[in-house]
Amino acid sequence: MTNISDRQLIKEIRDRLADRSKFEREINSLSLELQEVTKRYKESESLKSHFISNISNEIVNPFTSILGLSKAILSVEKNDWKKVVSMVALIHSEAFNLDFQLKNIFVAAKIEAGEVVPNIAKVNIRNVIQTIIDSFSLVARKMAIEIVFNFDIEYGFGKNFYFKTDSEKIKLIVSNMLNNALKYSYKDSKVILTVTVDEDFLTIAIQDFGTGISEKNQKIIFERFKRLDSGINSLNRGHGLGLSISKALLDVLGGSIEIDSRKGEGSTFTLHIPEAKNVVEGFSGEGNDIFFDGDDEIF
Amino acid sequence: MDQYLQHFLYPSTLFASKDSYVVKTILGSCVAICLWDPVAKIGGINHYMLPNWNGNDLASPKYGNIAIEKLIERMLQLGSRYENLQAKIFGGGDLIAVDRSAMLIGERNIRVARMMLEEKKIPIVASSTGGKKGRKILFFTNTGEVRHKFIDKQVR
Repeated sequence: MTNISDRQLIKEIRDRLADRSKFEREINSLSLELQEVTKRYKESESLKSHFISNISNEIVNPFTSILGLSKAILSVEKNDWKKVVSMVALIHSEAFNLDFQLKNIFVAAKIEAGEVVPNIAKVNIRNVIQTIIDSFSLVARKMAIEIVFNFDIEYGFGKNFYFKTDSEKIKLIVSNMLNNALKYSYKDSKVILTVTVDEDFLTIAIQDFGTGISEKNQKIIFERFKRLDSGINSLNRGHGLGLSISKALLDVLGGSIEIDSRKGEGSTFTLHIPEAKNVVEGFSGEGNDIFFDGDDEIF
Repeated sequence: MDQYLQHFLYPSTLFASKDSYVVKTILGSCVAICLWDPVAKIGGINHYMLPNWNGNDLASPKYGNIAIEKLIERMLQLGSRYENLQAKIFGGGDLIAVDRSAMLIGERNIRVARMMLEEKKIPIVASSTGGKKGRKILFFTNTGEVRHKFIDKQVR
């Protein structure tokens, strides 16, 4: 054992105390982090159970209406066709909604299972978006909302504009955007879809003049299962998955989404989607490269 | 080697099979974990982009902690035995040295892999991680073999 002077001893003690308090701080910050994570998991768990009750309403209610309405049609007097038409319209809107929600749920499950891959083809963007708008036309008419479609791409006279992307994913993303725009719009208003292209970026903007989203809420709407309870026409419909799915699908396409919204004035969601490349970078695409050249390592 | 079926593994997805597949993928700061069961000859691989799930997005295998759990689950579903599993880890390079926050992602991705595999007592039998370059790998699901090559191109 060596003798040390008082001064050295004090210095040593001071150093160790400093070390200790450093570790304490570290432990404190780690346990804060842990608490934060636990809190999030709890939140997520409760959101999930909300989701399950939402979803069963989402599926059971439309089915109940469809069953009831079709039964009513069966017992309608033969010459009372006007009644039938209005009931068929209701059945259609319920079934449409059901179909849309189920698609979303299945896609969410696929994303969570890690099975969603891009499926690239040349897509006639105008057709795809027109088809989506048409599918929502009955819903929009019911709420007296006009869907305006601006397709601002010049592409030769009489020629179609094609863009390499995944049409199914585009369909689901734009449908979700349009569904939200309609859901948060007031009666007798407009929803405007604008499509432009800049070099190899496709931009789709969906603008509504509805309730708008406060700055605070703009941050949380992409979280899964989160819903804002201000849907006017909605009677609290929806499961809060639409935007999380859209974001995850945009991820797959390498795209992004932007919100511009003011409370009470409406919202614009803008999608930016890059054109897909023919081959995946680094691979020939034909799969001839099973054998690497001499310089590959084997593990 | 014609008998190999091919699969290209995209980021945020995972793949596992009892059949003879060659799975290709490209890694930048992403990490891929190859799990192999030498007894049942089942191979599986994931490809995640970020270390930990933030609790907000869909709980997809974009995130390391989820990708690892889900891959193990998938392997067991296919009939692997937990105690036979062995792992190989690839990727986690830092390609975008300019951006300091992005620089850490590769390293954090690797750390999650090592921590979770250790906790789950799955041995890491081989690895090639970190560095400044991207990687291109081929994983043979029936032999567990991985062929590996560095690439200079910028990838995610």
